[in-house]
Amino acid sequence: MEHSKQTQYSSNEKKDSGDSGSVLNGHFDGMVKRPAGGTGRAAAAQPPGAESSSHRPAASVMESWREERTRSVEDNEMSLPSLAAAYTTILRGLGEDPQRQGLLKTPWRAATAMQFFTKGYQEKIIDVLNDAIFDEDHDEMVIVKDIDMFSMCEHHLVPIFGRVHIGYLPNKRVLGLSKLARIVEIYSRRLQVQERLTKQIAVAITEALQPTGVGVVIEATHMCMVMRGVQKMNSKTVTSTMLGVFREDPKTRDEFLTLIRS
Amino acid sequence: MENHQASELIGVVAEHPNMCVKSKHSVLCREEKDSKDAANADKQSHIEKSYTTILSELGEDVNREGLLRTPLRAAKAMQFFTKGYKETTQDILNDAIFDENHEGMVIVKDIELFSLCEHHLVPFFGKAHIAYFPIKKVVGLSKLARIVEIYCRRLQVQERLTKQIASAISEALEPAGVAVVIEAVHMCMVMRGVQKINASTVTSAMLGRFHDDPKTRKEFLGLTMRK
Repeated sequence: MEHSKQTQYSSNEKKDSGDSGSVLNGHFDGMVKRPAGGTGRAAAAQPPGAESSSHRPAASVMESWREERTRSVEDNEMSLPSLAAAYTTILRGLGEDPQRQGLLKTPWRAATAMQFFTKGYQEKIIDVLNDAIFDEDHDEMVIVKDIDMFSMCEHHLVPIFGRVHIGYLPNKRVLGLSKLARIVEIYSRRLQVQERLTKQIAVAITEALQPTGVGVVIEATHMCMVMRGVQKMNSKTVTSTMLGVFREDPKTRDEFLTLIRS
Repeated sequence: MENHQASELIGVVAEHPNMCVKSKHSVLCREEKDSKDAANADKQSHIEKSYTTILSELGEDVNREGLLRTPLRAAKAMQFFTKGYKETTQDILNDAIFDENHEGMVIVKDIELFSLCEHHLVPFFGKAHIAYFPIKKVVGLSKLARIVEIYCRRLQVQERLTKQIASAISEALEPAGVAVVIEAVHMCMVMRGVQKINASTVTSAMLGRFHDDPKTRKEFLGLTMRK
């Protein structure tokens, strides 16, 4: 399994980035780029030659989710004092008194909370998936639905929360079920845009399993719309990504959508 | 020359008490307003810079397209979430108290509220139910919701929020009793920490008749907490 993964990754590196259309549909050809580490802090688990910065695709939407910025626990500890100082400035700027009893340790708590809400930057898909891919002769749809998701809007730094429904048609390989939820966690615990989150989850499952098809639907509430701005309390945003046979065959897609609604 | 002008203007000010009494020259009023606006803009830019620091310390790329204006948006959002500090109950209630000979319970329930936890700077949201027994004075119904807004758009603790709303209504209307119940979900508990998704927190403040008479309290809770 290790060997086949390595082959897949190195063949990806050699191919050109292509256009965004082929990335979404092209996982059969192995043309989907595995998100590679973009910083010097790439962990040892990266295969050699993993830097993909030499060919950045034209569409800027693709750029950010191709790069996997890694952050470590040590980085977190080192950033904490400046994060706390930034939060203290914010408290003062809002007219509050950072010295009052309720706010004394708030900068530290807020900084740690924010690091938790963005812990997806510290994690990589490989770490989570390595052991839980099993050979199984199953070719019917597998669905894990109602996975609670909490993310942060990258535009306002305000929470987004909702549910993720994932379905895939395995091609001889199945994934441990909780790993689907862990993939959701890795990508949702970041500064996100719901469209990108949906696509990242779908692409990660595709690259890990090479299934016949993947469908991901996210329904979420955006606090930036509920608590401020338009202030529409009951609004929900639904995004979906359908790859492979879910995209091409309407019946499969219908079956998936019906099963997640029931 | 200046002293002469000053004494003239002082005389003018004395005759027209509506003029800006904080300064002796009317020109200074405009200057004060300008400096207040400048101070606000200054504060906003400090908050903005702090958010830029936060983004880069979290390991993000502050120059990528999606994050370019995020510090400004986040600063404005945060100022909106704490706009309650600048508002007072007097501002909104002065005109909407009416003489009415109604002495039954008045309830406004399911008032949505959104606030910020002062410990983690993370939202908490839910509903407020408010009831009062008027004595000759009733208040415009939306004003109850506005009072909720004033106190919840601050860095809050749910217990204090409940008590502040109850006290504000009590002071403004002097009714026979006030009851406030808030049911809220705290994202600091849901998104992090214990991560309990279905937990909600209920706090209440009972003043006057609601405090003294169990039957009244029961009636109120029966009318509002029904699922």
